[in-house]
Amino acid sequence: MSALAVGLTVNGRARAVLVDGRTTLLEALRENLGLTGAKRGCNQGVCGACTVLLDGRPVRGCLTLAAACEGAEVTTVEGLAPAGALNPVQQAIVEAGAVQCGFCTPGIVMSATALLRERPGASLEEVRQGLSGNLCRCSGYRGIVEAVHRAAAGAKATGGKA
Amino acid sequence: MTGFRRPSTVAEAVGLLAADAEARALAGGATLVAMMNADLVAPSALVSLAGIAALRRTETLPDGSVRLGAMRRHAENAVMDLAPGPDVVRRAAARIANPVVRNMGTIGGSVAFADPGADYPAALVAAGAAVEIAGPSGDRAVAAEDFFVDWYTTALGPGEIVTGVVLPPGGAGARSAYDKLVRVSGDFAIVSVAAVARLERGAVAGLRVAVGGCGPRPVRVAEAERALLGGGLDGPAAAALGAAIAEAADPPDDVRGSAAYRRRVIPGLVARALAACAAPLEHAA
Repeated sequence: MSALAVGLTVNGRARAVLVDGRTTLLEALRENLGLTGAKRGCNQGVCGACTVLLDGRPVRGCLTLAAACEGAEVTTVEGLAPAGALNPVQQAIVEAGAVQCGFCTPGIVMSATALLRERPGASLEEVRQGLSGNLCRCSGYRGIVEAVHRAAAGAKATGGKA
Repeated sequence: MTGFRRPSTVAEAVGLLAADAEARALAGGATLVAMMNADLVAPSALVSLAGIAALRRTETLPDGSVRLGAMRRHAENAVMDLAPGPDVVRRAAARIANPVVRNMGTIGGSVAFADPGADYPAALVAAGAAVEIAGPSGDRAVAAEDFFVDWYTTALGPGEIVTGVVLPPGGAGARSAYDKLVRVSGDFAIVSVAAVARLERGAVAGLRVAVGGCGPRPVRVAEAERALLGGGLDGPAAAALGAAIAEAADPPDDVRGSAAYRRRVIPGLVARALAACAAPLEHAA
């Protein structure tokens, strides 16, 4: 039973969804809007696979209620670059081969993109801190951290336009 | 069908909660939504506090106390400008979970949930803070020490919400330290220690130490604190304080550590927090 109409902007496009009060933003994105980039891992806010940007801030899609997003601007991994293109974090991850099973990758990309917008030129330690809420169960952290650190060096050079 | 309401005033929120015993106040969602996802709770309606501007406000009161609105997020609290002493709350906020969760969770939500392994409870007790409450029968304030009652149980009554916390000034020569022993960065504490000391010409003029994660509520032993007055933050009285807190603690045996282990590490962590308070300001932990 869905009864609440919520209007929000997703990846730059005005959308409307019909949800229950307890429907999460993650469910609304995946089930109502067909945006399956954000993943449902633990559904407890621990793993970070569902990380999306809400009004520019990284949040857990699984802990955010869709009904609370009226008027909000949501960015998912699908909206970081035009179709067929990659943002600098995505590009760096591809170049470093920092993907194993790939389930955590969209959440990593969102956390890293938010980090580099706030701290272009982030140090290795800042990258580790910034990604500390994203679990990679393949344990491929070294490649991920190196890739994001490399993207940070590029972001610094271009003034943070990640 | 779960309802969703977004009141714009505290009075409206309290009215909605008082009218429906199965409705729940929603702050940042970091805990409540996780519990709903796990089917541990099924509120009839959610009363979002996000639209209440008064709950985001921070102000300095005439007596120098700082009032933090309940809806301030951990990420904001982790970088706020607080004087030495009350800044123990900033130190605690910076150790909560990870950057993304700190963007969501709020001090009011965390305090109202009262997880004994969370970071704020011990810090608020050490700071001598008060918790401000609004409810159907009016507003009141409760000392943090009395607010945390039992496991996940607070002084909040039906229909009441936390509206803010008030941190008294630390005074001249105040110092604070916050540390927690964790398995991985950002986890709930195995043991946490919050300490606020006031030093006058090197001697202890005031001290509050609270330990978290080691019982239903933060553990504090005021008599043992008093034994340090007039002396330094080390020596036999300091060691006795750590031992007294370990003795008073009622730690859980769980996946993070056994009760015996927790008791074993408390004195060392207390000594470390006291040493951090004694260190020159720029080196305080």
